[in-house]
Amino acid sequence: MTDVTDTADAPGREERKGRTPFVVRLVRQPAGAIGLAIVVALVAIALLADQIAPYSPIKMAAGRPLTSPSFEHLLGTDEFGRDMFSRIVHGARLTLQIGLIAVGISLTVGTLIGLVAAYAGGFVEKLLMRSTDVVFSFTETLIALAFVAVLGPSLENAMIAVGIAGVPFYARTCYASALGEEGKPYFEASIAAGAGHARLLFLHLLPNVVPTMIVIATLGLSNAILAAAALSFLGLGAQPPTPEWGAMLSAGRDFFNRAPWLMLYPGLAIALTVLAFNILGDALREALDPRSKDRS
Amino acid sequence: MLRFLGQRAAMGLLTIFVTTIAVTLLIHLVPGDPVEIMYAQSQGTTPEQIEAMRSSLGLDQPIPVQYLHFVGRLLQGDLGVTIRGQQSVAQLLLQRLPNTLALAALAMAIATLIGMPLGFLAAYKRGTLLDGVLMVTAIAGISIPHFWLGLLLLFWLAVDLGILPVAGSGPLNIVLPALTLGLSNAAIVARMTRSAMIDVMSQDFIRTAHAKGLPKSRVLRRHVLRAGLVPVVTVMGLQFAFMMGGAIVVENIFAWNGIGRLALEAIFQRDYPVIQGFILVFATTVVVVMLALDAVYALLDPRIRRS
Repeated sequence: MTDVTDTADAPGREERKGRTPFVVRLVRQPAGAIGLAIVVALVAIALLADQIAPYSPIKMAAGRPLTSPSFEHLLGTDEFGRDMFSRIVHGARLTLQIGLIAVGISLTVGTLIGLVAAYAGGFVEKLLMRSTDVVFSFTETLIALAFVAVLGPSLENAMIAVGIAGVPFYARTCYASALGEEGKPYFEASIAAGAGHARLLFLHLLPNVVPTMIVIATLGLSNAILAAAALSFLGLGAQPPTPEWGAMLSAGRDFFNRAPWLMLYPGLAIALTVLAFNILGDALREALDPRSKDRS
Repeated sequence: MLRFLGQRAAMGLLTIFVTTIAVTLLIHLVPGDPVEIMYAQSQGTTPEQIEAMRSSLGLDQPIPVQYLHFVGRLLQGDLGVTIRGQQSVAQLLLQRLPNTLALAALAMAIATLIGMPLGFLAAYKRGTLLDGVLMVTAIAGISIPHFWLGLLLLFWLAVDLGILPVAGSGPLNIVLPALTLGLSNAAIVARMTRSAMIDVMSQDFIRTAHAKGLPKSRVLRRHVLRAGLVPVVTVMGLQFAFMMGGAIVVENIFAWNGIGRLALEAIFQRDYPVIQGFILVFATTVVVVMLALDAVYALLDPRIRRS
């Protein structure tokens, strides 16, 4: 979070509401506060999963199979007698990891492509942005599916696939944002002052696209988590007995009549996590750029 | 306008061209020998069969030759045969494609019919409680995984209430998958419609229309709605791509016989010719639909129509 605060105070941002610190502006919006609270809670659960979960997430026969939620098994047990609460808690850790790694890939590669395209101009710009357009029109699902098809179903491959599939969107956003920065007087001034390529790219352009990139990465986390869960649901991502929510949901549907909780809680967990990042992303965008209010 | 459409068509052709290259290279990215992997699961395969598949895929030739070979066959509508059963991949895909298109089209209709009026209403009532409730619902809507929504609808409408069939390929079987996809995209349509309409409503020509004394309903119908539809139509192109992607998941929940279900089976069976064909057909479909929507967009936007 400290990163966000620093960059939001970077030069070149006009029309800010006084000098209210960024975090205050974020939390002052009810949506921002709620989103942040859920995300913080999720991170805490993920970090403390071993302490919170009463059983190992893959321990079979922790209780009788398919018992309904009780004091002993808060969310019941699955068909192998594994404790669902422990599996959901460990799933939080896994889900955040998947999201962060996938978004990390999209963000790093996308930002680099966008920056270089905007800075280099000419042929490099055309080549990079046209290829991005082409890849973009394949749609994320198809790219992710193609990668898993080639590499084979596994959680690692699903993360890589989702990460690569997201690159074009991040590259486009970064490119547009960097182009805007290049037109500003401070940028021209530093060219005139003789700043070198590295300085212009990494000390001027990069810090100024960071706020935008943070917003889309936050919203992107919800996308990545959904996409990876969908792959796992289809059997193309996490494999049993990994406590991944999408995979758990898929396994739980066979027992819907006898144990509806097996299908209810993993779905609820995904929805809540995705919702939290969506709300937080929207609130971040508003806090960073008050003019964007009312746009979705 | 022709120039605009020409550019779009060129971009589409470029995409398909790149897809053909990607699809040819795809098989070389497979760790290990793709042909061995393909047949690893099926018993009693003779070395002759393996050699036949290798040369049918052209894998014994240099990559550029393989590519030309692939494109040459593609132009004759030949996408190879499935590893089991030796069926024509092109025929199989063409048989299944209409099911996926029907699903995507119906889902898009549902998403538009629900999402657009609600988005418009939220923009019109902007800042009120109604707007707030609609937008909270929308953000919740985009956060619910479509595969979960699908399962919930399945168990509620088909298993519990028994009003719709669970799975299969009868005419009523399309309802559940289309409803799942449509509902989960309605929220996105609503959000995008709202922001497009708000953009338009804050523009000068709307203020002028109000100022010259036009009745409110006329301003809304003739000015806001018409101008606001342009960006919404652009978004519909992306929506269709989402629908096609979502269809892969939803088809598998409801056992709807589209190309998505075919693709998933192919991935598990390592049936590379089918996967290649699927990627090509999927990409081409998206390109064609996007192009059609670009044409609609050009017709709606007078700045492009008259250029």
